[in-house]
Amino acid sequence: MSVAGIKNHFANWRQWELNPIVIKELRQAVRSWAVTGMLLLFLSVLFITSLIFLVSQSFEADDNMQLGSSMFSTFMVILAVTSVFFIPLYVGVRVAVERQENNPDLLYISTLSPARIIRGKFLCGAYMALLFFCACMPFMALTNLLRGVDLPTVFFILFYLFMVVCAANQIAICFACVPASRPFKILFALGGFIASFWIVIPLILVSFRFMGSGIGSMMGEHNFWIGVLTAVVVSSAVIGLFFVLSVALISPPSANRALPVRIYMTVIWLVGGLLNLGWVVQMGEARLMDVWGYSTFAAMIFSLVVAISNSDQLSHRVQRAIPRSRLKRMLSFMFFNGAAGGLIWVAAILAATFVVTKEVIILFPKLSTGPTEGRHWFVTTTAYAFDYALTALFVHRRFLSRLPPKITGLLAALLAGAWAIAPSIVLFFLNQLSWKSIEGLQLGNVFNVFSLLNEGQLLYHQWFAFGWLFVATAINMKWFLRQVKSFQPPDRTQTPPLINEISPAA
Amino acid sequence: MKVQVKNLRKEFGKTVAVDNISFSFDSGQVFGFVGPNGAGKTTTMRIISTIEEPTSGDVMLNGISVYEEPELARRAVGYVPDTLPAHADITVHEYLDFYARAYGLRGKKRTQAIEAIEEFTSVTGIREKHLKALSKGMKQRVSLGRALVYDPDVLVLDEPAAGLDPRARVELRELLMLLAERKKAILISSHILTELTEICNGVVIIERGKILETGTIEDVLKKSAPRRTVAIRLVEGNHHQNPQLLKELLQTPFVENARVVANEIHFELTGDETAACDILGGLIDKKFKIIEFRQTKANLEDIFMNVTKGGVQ
Repeated sequence: MSVAGIKNHFANWRQWELNPIVIKELRQAVRSWAVTGMLLLFLSVLFITSLIFLVSQSFEADDNMQLGSSMFSTFMVILAVTSVFFIPLYVGVRVAVERQENNPDLLYISTLSPARIIRGKFLCGAYMALLFFCACMPFMALTNLLRGVDLPTVFFILFYLFMVVCAANQIAICFACVPASRPFKILFALGGFIASFWIVIPLILVSFRFMGSGIGSMMGEHNFWIGVLTAVVVSSAVIGLFFVLSVALISPPSANRALPVRIYMTVIWLVGGLLNLGWVVQMGEARLMDVWGYSTFAAMIFSLVVAISNSDQLSHRVQRAIPRSRLKRMLSFMFFNGAAGGLIWVAAILAATFVVTKEVIILFPKLSTGPTEGRHWFVTTTAYAFDYALTALFVHRRFLSRLPPKITGLLAALLAGAWAIAPSIVLFFLNQLSWKSIEGLQLGNVFNVFSLLNEGQLLYHQWFAFGWLFVATAINMKWFLRQVKSFQPPDRTQTPPLINEISPAA
Repeated sequence: MKVQVKNLRKEFGKTVAVDNISFSFDSGQVFGFVGPNGAGKTTTMRIISTIEEPTSGDVMLNGISVYEEPELARRAVGYVPDTLPAHADITVHEYLDFYARAYGLRGKKRTQAIEAIEEFTSVTGIREKHLKALSKGMKQRVSLGRALVYDPDVLVLDEPAAGLDPRARVELRELLMLLAERKKAILISSHILTELTEICNGVVIIERGKILETGTIEDVLKKSAPRRTVAIRLVEGNHHQNPQLLKELLQTPFVENARVVANEIHFELTGDETAACDILGGLIDKKFKIIEFRQTKANLEDIFMNVTKGGVQ
């Protein structure tokens, strides 16, 4: 949006309207038996819990100085369990049902942009979370009067829990947007339900720690605020990442789906790196840089699988957006749809991460252990990941070209899996049913890199992985150059077609 | 607004639902989309409405590709699906309000548009009812209202008359004629072909994903039924002459396939209008008491039965 556009937007603030999705969803939520039933159940549980605490205290002769703290802990557990399990499930199921092909609602063919649809769904989840938090608030405020917990702790824990619920909502929306059949979506829901335990348990444990220390006493410390800032940035980055992924998933295939995702990931990679560097400087511990390195590695391997599943054919719409200037075009190649550009983008990010991490370690040599092992591991697994990806691309293009390109990512994963499992099974039977063979050197098996006996074996892996990479690059080179060459804007500049302004039927 | 379907093809795995079809229609035209079940009608309509993507080919709405620019194309198309909304937790008014908001109508403009649509589709009396509580006819009206609320130039209606009672059908027909007068380009699929003949200017007949006939109703009728069928009725009480008349006709030139249909004699005329005149004169000369001598028009149903085989993919 241009500056004039932004100015105009704020000048007409009287005409601002709520996102239509939020209005529709909240109208439906207040009438839904699931939400009202859950809210009533939640309030009843809170009320009965308070009653039990107060009645049991009345039988005690001594004053319980920790009554407020015990009650708050119980309320917090109830709120955490309800909001982490129920709200993302409700929001996710609603999105999944609307995304079904046979749904006559056609929400996704309205002129609402994909970003607006996802924002509406996310905001609806956030409003619902607020509703539950507000319902819980009077009970929690009461605990402050009973001693044992200070108000900053109450508000800090609620804020922190709210961020987690928002992130869980956005993740649920993203999985609900995946174009999968109903059985797969049920599997996702089950997976999400199990994963929620992994969120709730640490969440409760951390909250107990905060309550034990008391947030009020920690607020004067410098490190506390850096920690809060980091947590807020990380949660916001996770929410943002799943937001752009959801938007890409519901965007039409002819759209430049990769562009916002790759730009966003590049930005959070940069911001994350800077934040991590801040921690390294603050703590004087270069090993902290690995947090950034590992998370970048995980995100980029996932991106690699998605990138190679891109179609080689760019839609006219994407072609029209290709810049004419050579420099801009080179940059666009990495960020626009397409497998070749995606490969370059992943390679560039991983290479930069490796170089930066190495430089930081050289600059901050105050380390407890030697850095080389970790770096070798990073290089070898990255090389293997590219080996599988490039081989899958070649196999798809050469032998399975009739199948859609989206199977290429699956092929790469199968290749990695088959290479890991098949030799192990063969060796297992050849070696008189001993699992010892698995611990030996298995070149080409990326998982074997993690269970090596000595550094010499790692070197063999490195040589093998780079040899394979050389061959895989060579057999894909012709295709890659063709992709680079064809990344051109269309010859003729066509004026975009005009459509009349929407006017009311009246 | 010109709608051009160009070499459209849609595959679902190995099944070819739509096989390289092309046709076009324009503002103010009502085009009937006819074919047996499984012919590819709904798939084509879903592609035009940007819900489905074509495997190849395209649909252009005034030059806007539904594949390349679905967001732009959506502003121009209103789709009424064959399945209807059934929310238990949303009222008719809220439902229309949501779609008006979704299509960018704001403030007073939106309120006016919704009121106008509620009146146009006669749902004002049920605006506070939940969608699930509505009859099929009422749901159909709401669905049409939803498609019209942002005043699209193209309307795509998939089996809108299915399951409606005779009164609702007549009302729907009147609504569609009104919309055609408002210069909407309308594509409508229906199995009730007699009704389509009355409201459509053009027709597309499709089977097994392929177009069998397309054009204006007159052209298709001419093309598909070049022979005219003539019906003769004798004065009441003279029906005993029917076998004699039948025998006479079978010996007359330009007459083929003469047969008794109820109390009438039908035959196919292979000659022109002069031949018909001669036949009538000849029969009167032979003292047959003829009260009615008329040409029966072939309708869409006859053509449909002639050109389709009832095959599905």
